Amino acid sequence: MITIDRLCKTRGRTRILHEVSFDARPGRVTGFLGPNGAGKTSTLRILLGLDRPESGTALVDGRPYAGWHHPLTTVGALLDGSGAHRARSARAHLRWVATSNGLPRSRVDEVLDVVGLAADAGKRAGRYSLGMSRRLGLAAALLGDPRVLILDEPVNGLDPAGIRWMRTFLRDSADQGRTVLLSSHLMGELAEIADDVVIIDRGRVVARGTLSEVTGSHPTLEDAFLTLTAASEPW
Amino acid sequence: MVNLIRAELRKLLGLPTAWVGLILGLLAAPALVVINAPAVRRALADGASIDASDLGFQNLGIGLLGAMILGVVTVSSEYTGTGEDAPGARQLTASLTAVPRRARLLGAKAIALSLVVTVQGSLTAVVTLALTERIHGTAVPAPDPVRVLLAVLYWLLIGLLAYAITLIARNGIITLTVLIVNSSVVSVSYLLTKVTPLAAYLPDIVGAHMFLRGIDTPVEISPLTAGLVMTGWVAVLLAVAGYLFQRRDA
Repeated sequence: MITIDRLCKTRGRTRILHEVSFDARPGRVTGFLGPNGAGKTSTLRILLGLDRPESGTALVDGRPYAGWHHPLTTVGALLDGSGAHRARSARAHLRWVATSNGLPRSRVDEVLDVVGLAADAGKRAGRYSLGMSRRLGLAAALLGDPRVLILDEPVNGLDPAGIRWMRTFLRDSADQGRTVLLSSHLMGELAEIADDVVIIDRGRVVARGTLSEVTGSHPTLEDAFLTLTAASEPW
Repeated sequence: MVNLIRAELRKLLGLPTAWVGLILGLLAAPALVVINAPAVRRALADGASIDASDLGFQNLGIGLLGAMILGVVTVSSEYTGTGEDAPGARQLTASLTAVPRRARLLGAKAIALSLVVTVQGSLTAVVTLALTERIHGTAVPAPDPVRVLLAVLYWLLIGLLAYAITLIARNGIITLTVLIVNSSVVSVSYLLTKVTPLAAYLPDIVGAHMFLRGIDTPVEISPLTAGLVMTGWVAVLLAVAGYLFQRRDA
């Protein structure tokens, strides 16, 4: 369970988050939707303890992220890039991550298999394609077999087969009882897998609820999204 | 914490640039002993007024570059971009999601660095001094074990100094350039001693007093004072670095 409560954040002179609140519940895929620069990544970075909010709280199972001793066994996170130093092989990267959280070395090969990187595990991360980097990032997120997944734009850079794989993977994870929160600016993609939807625009949550609640009387989620967010900024 | 230190050792020793620092630090000082040997022999034969007990120790200085590189790389590798695909993506994100308690992360990194740098410093000191003894024989007095220990301590403190400065600057290239230029081309601290004798207490000058005797500075500084002042500098810089690291957005 992820609980975000009245998060505010100012960067420079711009307020980038205004009292952002929403929940992501176990067993459901929650889609966090918004145009570029709306505050999705900022919210997720605060949730993961990377950035500090001005006020408000972001909790995972009732605790701030930094309160978890070995967080990877509870939360798996995928942000921009793979997080691996360019000079390191995928395997070397995953090994230090596993060691830091007291996870057995055998998990490294298991997650490499899951994301389909076993054959390229010895390659330096700097030589990876965008899609491979995403897979490596996901592998790190899965190391501790976490019950909460937090993914920022997970299908960015994936090929069609990768996108389908990711969709199935996320659906299965939620069906097994995990909490899945993913951000995206791709409506069609999100409408396919999300159970719940939160829409953020210019740092404010403008809609939240189940997919059908948010879509409402609009023909598609995309129409709902454009109506909700374009009201403030016509092209 | 043991797992964290092991993870940090794995991270550091998995970087090619760390090995450049390791090998450079290990080889530079012994190589200098060999290169300088003919000149030193002549000086000793001419009865020049040099402090012969300083001989091996003086050559150690160049190896400190290795400790500096290791200190810088431990931090700068966290801030280096991971690729053009994802501007702004850095290893630091992975480090902090794995270890969100920042003080623990910094502590583990500092301990891992200290272990590597201490081993490097000890090996270099032993090899350099043994080589000096072998080349110059009885012309050089046997090294005082306390001085050797202090030299290794200085080595460690320089590594931690570079670590702290890089944490504050969050950029390895700037830090390394400043450190290398200051220690090899022009020493800003040395120039400052011409302005005020107090500049002799700046870290790169005061530290050398821990194990060298015949240094030309305007003030006499005992090895104990030097050690305390140097440790003080490193402690203050580490405290500033730790405070900023806790407060800043990653």
